[in-house]
This record gives sequence, C-alpha cells and structure tokens, in this order.
Amino acid sequence: MVVLSFFLLGFILIAIQTTFFHYFPHWLGRPDLSFILLVFSGYKFGWLPGLLLAFLLGWLMDVTSGVFPGTYLLLVLTVFSIVKFLSQNSSVRENVFQIPLVGVSYFSVQCFFYLFFSITQPGTLPPWSWSKIVQETLILLVASIPCFVFFNWMYEKITTRRLASRRLKRSGGNRFR
Amino acid sequence: MLRPKNNDRKKVARFRFTRLFLLSFLFVALFLALLSSTAGSRFGVFHQMTLEALGPVQTVFTRISINTIRLKDKYITLWNLQEEIDQLRHELDIYHAKLDEYREAYSRNRFLEAELAFKKNETFPALMARVVGKDPSFWFKTLIVDRGENDGVVTGMVARNSRGVVGQVVQVSDNYSKILLANAPSSAIDAIVQKSRVRGILKGADRQGYILQYVLKNADVQEGDVIVTAGIGGVFPQGITLGTVSKVRSKRRGMFLEIEVQPAVDFGRLEFLFINLSEEQLVIDGLNRTSSAAGE
Repeated sequence: MVVLSFFLLGFILIAIQTTFFHYFPHWLGRPDLSFILLVFSGYKFGWLPGLLLAFLLGWLMDVTSGVFPGTYLLLVLTVFSIVKFLSQNSSVRENVFQIPLVGVSYFSVQCFFYLFFSITQPGTLPPWSWSKIVQETLILLVASIPCFVFFNWMYEKITTRRLASRRLKRSGGNRFR
Repeated sequence: MLRPKNNDRKKVARFRFTRLFLLSFLFVALFLALLSSTAGSRFGVFHQMTLEALGPVQTVFTRISINTIRLKDKYITLWNLQEEIDQLRHELDIYHAKLDEYREAYSRNRFLEAELAFKKNETFPALMARVVGKDPSFWFKTLIVDRGENDGVVTGMVARNSRGVVGQVVQVSDNYSKILLANAPSSAIDAIVQKSRVRGILKGADRQGYILQYVLKNADVQEGDVIVTAGIGGVFPQGITLGTVSKVRSKRRGMFLEIEVQPAVDFGRLEFLFINLSEEQLVIDGLNRTSSAAGE
C-alpha cells in the first residue's frame, strides 16, 4: 500500500516535472522531485519495498527522459542502495543530515552520470557546466525541504492508518473468551 | 461737598437731552429724506448709495458662497471620481486580461495558420502531433508527442514544423513517441550552406544551438548564411531549413572553421510539430528489422 501510494506520487511528480516545470523561468530551474522522493525512500523504506519503489521510479524516468533505456534504472537503484546503506550504518540517518544528503547525492549523481556517458557515449551530453550543476543542486536543496515535510506527512498518514486497521483486525475477536 | 455733585448731575442731564435731541433730529431728517427719495416710486440717491455700499459686500459674500459650493461640489465630485476611477481601473484590468487573451488567440491563430499553410504546401504526408511532455533532465533534449505506432509513426521518422527540422523519432509506443531534438548534442545532420553549397555536419550544441563541423577554412561561409539539409543518407529531404550562421571563427590551428548556427526552430516554445510519414522511413525501418532478425 505504501509503495503503491508513493509510486502514484512519483508518477504525478514526474508528470509535473515534464510539463508544468517547463513553463518556469530558467533561473527558477526544474527541481528533480522524483530524486527527492528517491532519497526519502532511502531513509524511510525497507530494503525490499524501497528497491521496488526505486525500480518503478527509474522505470518512469527511463520512459520520459533520455534516449538510452536502462540508464536511469541503474542509476536510481544505485542511489537508493547507497542512501539506504548510509542511513542504516552511519550518523547520516539523523534528521539533520537528510536535506544536505539530498544535495550531496544529487551532485554526486550528476558527476557520475556525466562521467559514465563521457566514457560510454562520448558527445551525447552537453558540455559540463559547474554553474548549472551548482544552481540545480541549490534549487533541489530548497525544494527538498517542503517535499520532505510532505512526504513525511504522507508516510505517517499511511502507516498510522495501516497500523490502526491492523489493531482493529486483531481486536476483532471475543476478548473475554 | 453736596453742591458740586448737584452741578454734575445737571450737566449730565443736559448732555443727555442734547444727545437725544440730536439723535431724534437725525432720525427725523433721515426718515424725511428717505421718504422724499421713495416718493413717486423713485430709486433715489439714497437707494443708490445704499446699493453701492451693499453691492461689494454682497459680491464678497456671493463669491465666498460660490467658492464654498464649488469646493463642496469639487470634493463630492472628487469623491465620486475616486469611486469611478476605482471602477474604471477594475474595468481596465478586465479589458487588459481580455486583450491578453485576444492577443494570445491571435498569435495562436497566426501560428496555426502558418502551420496549416505549411501542411498544405508540403509534399510529404505530414502527421500533426502535439507536444505533451519535455525531458525532465537537463542532460537530454527529448520531447514526448501524442502520436505513436497506431498513427503510423516508426522510429527514425523526421519531425518538422514550418520553420525547419525539429528532430527525429527515437522511441515509439502505441499512442506516444519520443523525439530527440535536433539541437541535442547526440544529434548530427548532413547540412550545406545554401548560398555556397559548402557541406558539413551540423551537430547539436544545446543552448548554443548548432555547430557546423568539418567545413574547411578556405570555404565561403559568412554570418547570416542559411544552412539547409543536404539530403544525403535519405533521412532528411534536401533543402529543409536548419538555421542561420551566427558566428564564424577561424583559429590559427586546425584545418576547419568553427561555425555557430542559430536554429530556425524555437525549441523552447514548441507546441505542435509534423511527423513525416513518408514511405522511405518505413522501408528503412523494415530493412533494419530484417537485418537485425537475420543477425539473430
């Protein structure tokens, strides 16, 4: 249920990114909301549901972006695994590090992405631009604050409702027997 | 001590009598004068004098009154005007909004007319497609359009609009297709300079537009020259506009010119485009499929 809800959310976010955001002025940028969702899933979701969600998000990105299917899938799964590993085994799991981690991981992903394509498909991507990458990263950082608040709220809503329904189910029998 | 007091009283009484007498005389004289002046319904000297004396005072008071009334009227008018101004401003806002709508409708109409004229004049079977999505990543330059295999679109087909080449279909589903824009760095088109017929390869250069590569330094290329498709390879027909030369640089080293080309198509504002549904691409696609099947 949680994965499905967040997948639907990711679906909507990508639809917004590919349509609505393109009417924004250039200086406002186009924050990658699906990436924020990916990092959030790395923090909150377990390995299996998280990987499933990451797979679905990567799939969506592959459909809407780029010309080499599979690239985003690989990238998204790698990012999720790294974030998940860090959030489990280091102090990065603290709330304070969540937003900076989004920025750091996004910046690293762009570097890796560019390096990967420079080696495998030279001439496919536009030239590297520090200003552009830094600008996009900063915009993403700003956007990730309300996004994390919303994702957290949604996650809490879904999980508490599920827990409540489970408790109801358990307590459905005759307790005095 | 008493005597002087009596004398004073007598003096006062006499003064009072004299004053009273004089006043009575004056009053009677005035009355008689006025009476004689009025006699025979005449507007006599005294009347005139009185009027002359009253006139200026009246004038002053009238002016004061008029000015006060004017001031009051002005104030009320201003008050009303303020309301009217507010109302007019509101109406103006509405008209501005309407004007914007009409302008948008007008420009859209002109754009669609141009596209329609282009479709009518073109010889290739053009399929109009609407842009429904753009690439979320800034690394790639792709579009998603609302036409797919069900409309006869196959991979490799060329997308154009009235201005020139837009790109090429790279991925297709039943009802949608992905188009790689011509200004993407991975795009390369055989092109020629229309005026001098000099040939080169037009590479996408993101925000810079295009770069025309492999043009020798001794070639005749100048700013403002139009670049069109060369028609080699069969993908693009010959003579479709690609852009205009915006900068030509000749460096000391190397044998080629560095030529920047301003795209004819405004890639940032694409709403509609036409996909070339000609048989050529279907044949190429069929051949590709056959060769890949044979390879397997």
